[in-house]
Amino acid sequence: MIKCYLLDGEFKDIELEDFDKVVLSVSKNRAALTNMPLKAITELLNQLGKSIVRDKKLAVLDGASFISLWLRRDNLERICKLNFMDNSFLDHFADSGAGFEMIAQPRGIVCHWVASNVPTLSFFSLVMGILTKNGNILKVSEENKDILLTLVSGLSDLKIEVDGKEFSGKDIIKTISIVSFDSRETGHGEAFSMAADCKVIWGGADSMRAITALPQKETCELIPFGPKYSFGMFDKGSVEGADFRSDIRKVLRDVLMFNQMACSSPQVLFFEKSAKPIGEIAQTMKEELTGLPERLLSRPIPQHIASKIINTRSLYLLSDDKEVVQSDGLDWTILINRDPGLEEPIHGGCIFVKEVNNIMDVVPFVTRKIQAIVLCTSDNRRRGAFAKVATEKGADRIVLPGAAHDFTLPWDGIMALNRLVRWTILYSKKADGGSNAAG
Amino acid sequence: MNMSRPLSNVTLEDILQMPQYSLDDPEKNEVLLKLIKEQLPKTMANPHVKKLFEKQGIDIERIQRVEDVPFIPVQMFKYFDLSTNPNEKIARVIKSSGTTSGSQSIIPISKETAANQMKGLKSILANYMGQKRRVMIAIDHVGINDPKKEITARGAGVRGFSIFAKETLYVLKEYSNGELVLDMPVIEKLRKEYADKDVYAFGFTYIIWKTFCRQMKERGLSLKFNDAIVFHGGGWKKLTAERVSKEEFSRTVADLIGTKPERVHDFYGMAEQTGIIFIDCEHGNKHVPNFSQVIVRDIRTLKPCEVGEKGLIEVMGALSNSYYSYAVLTEDIGHLEGMDGCPCGRKGRYFRFDSRVERAELRGCGDTFRE
Repeated sequence: MIKCYLLDGEFKDIELEDFDKVVLSVSKNRAALTNMPLKAITELLNQLGKSIVRDKKLAVLDGASFISLWLRRDNLERICKLNFMDNSFLDHFADSGAGFEMIAQPRGIVCHWVASNVPTLSFFSLVMGILTKNGNILKVSEENKDILLTLVSGLSDLKIEVDGKEFSGKDIIKTISIVSFDSRETGHGEAFSMAADCKVIWGGADSMRAITALPQKETCELIPFGPKYSFGMFDKGSVEGADFRSDIRKVLRDVLMFNQMACSSPQVLFFEKSAKPIGEIAQTMKEELTGLPERLLSRPIPQHIASKIINTRSLYLLSDDKEVVQSDGLDWTILINRDPGLEEPIHGGCIFVKEVNNIMDVVPFVTRKIQAIVLCTSDNRRRGAFAKVATEKGADRIVLPGAAHDFTLPWDGIMALNRLVRWTILYSKKADGGSNAAG
Repeated sequence: MNMSRPLSNVTLEDILQMPQYSLDDPEKNEVLLKLIKEQLPKTMANPHVKKLFEKQGIDIERIQRVEDVPFIPVQMFKYFDLSTNPNEKIARVIKSSGTTSGSQSIIPISKETAANQMKGLKSILANYMGQKRRVMIAIDHVGINDPKKEITARGAGVRGFSIFAKETLYVLKEYSNGELVLDMPVIEKLRKEYADKDVYAFGFTYIIWKTFCRQMKERGLSLKFNDAIVFHGGGWKKLTAERVSKEEFSRTVADLIGTKPERVHDFYGMAEQTGIIFIDCEHGNKHVPNFSQVIVRDIRTLKPCEVGEKGLIEVMGALSNSYYSYAVLTEDIGHLEGMDGCPCGRKGRYFRFDSRVERAELRGCGDTFRE
């Protein structure tokens, strides 16, 4: 059984046998979005962003203020420009400078498989589909569907005027459908996959393998996000510097946000050897953790993660060569060991802490699985040198403390908007009778 | 409680000798805290336990409540030797089944611990079946209790329960490939020669259901005795796929052994706390004996839960002097049904087991670093 929560602009709760109605509705309504100028789309999303921080229910969401800032029109246009070089390619044929004109056509229907670890993930995925004027069908988890529905419903009453023409948020809503179904029902998975002109997948290794293996159209584009892993790195200068405490506070926010379940959640913090012993650093972390807002600390933890935290804490307490600093409950745990390398994530506010002789000692641990490295150094020469080798080894993003989860494109090494469109070209005869073909 | 000496002077021996379930909850907490605090300094002989106390800054003298005795998660028995006695004092080592992780718990038992465990179990069972010896039906195969083989939790269970046996009959046999089947000559002997006897049966829940019940039903067999009591425990997780309820289990077993469903007692226990089992009363509540305590801890805050609130079951016990067993945190979810108020008349806490800790791991896009 497929549950559908948004269809043809109507927010309802219906059960469907197949995706026929969903595909028909999104395909039919897509024309209005295709013909909407990018300026109108970004302005509607800009208005939506403003309304999110005004909505008391939404304002408390992890990342709500970031979403609001991210939806600012100038930001969206900047993201588009980074992907398309010239945003007019999204609205009409424009000169490519290579002897022909180009237009970025939407791929059609984008089907999104969104993991449940980050509640707002589906929204970012959807906005990418909207900016590229695609129809969007999102498979979301039951637990997160309401967040997405509330965010999307904010478009309902929005109307704006661009160049004397009125545009409505409802026209965008009509190009979206939100569904959920049991992934073990392979029939539904296959049908969902076959409906896609582009598959956007956010998930762990198992789901990634399963979804990529589903049958799909020969022309279908695949955009896989995850599975990934993130960590943090402080150099000697930053550990001994005046901003250390504030940097630690920012990194710890990165750690705790989204219950440490995101691909951009740091799992290990490396500290370059400095005048501060690792125990003193852990003490500073403890002080800063204690001062963090309650909503970051007292979040529900799934049973299997709670069990892992309890067992790992005890492993460290009973071991001779390991140390643990922990809260009374399971709010946070600092695990200190001397083993080189990364650690399997535990999640739920468990951060491994290690000392290294040099920040470059961490480079051998970097693989293609590394998403974000929160690098804390005020020495930009070192920063650049580290980033060059770390990204070459596989890391996708070298970011500042507090910015681990800031959704930017490229993400996971992918310029996603660029891949959500088909680049088409137009050769025309010049007014003087010649061709504008190159050569 | 009517005792000849004040609670502050009570010894473990006193507690083991007195009728079980006679202490109310505050009395038991007082007695247990005293007994455990007496033992804790000796546990410092174990370097791991010593580290655990040192790292948490725990001063044994300042422990005021049973809840404050540091717990050790049951999984730790798989990673550490938690022996608190020198090796020469260890009489035997029990190994748990290790079904969840694949590795086994190692539980070192001294002679004194083994004796305490036996006395503990005996006093618990006496409360449910009286002091009279009976014929014991072990729903397992004879090899499980082979003294020449390594002691498993299953073997220790059969051995422990045989304390009231004037004769033990094993109703299963094991083929060389490990398959368990009914030992038909023994079944026939029971049918023909024991119908007028008082018996008690013991077995692991999943073996009783998957082997004994299934094969008895397939053959259309049943047994009949003058009086029969059944004790079963361990392995509900192996029956998850079968979706059998406790009620259906009791009804089926009662029919096959010729007793009433309320005489089929599920019990909760673990190899790491041998000698302490929590047997269901006729009202379906698991009762805590005088030498033990159960704390249900909130899985998020680790604070003790109120009656009715679900959390992790922690089992405390005072029987061991050879390993750290004073507070063992399980991976089971349960809830307290009440304290001192069960209609069956047993005093102390009574609780129910609800489930194993969920194992599902949905990692999402944040996953391992391994390629």
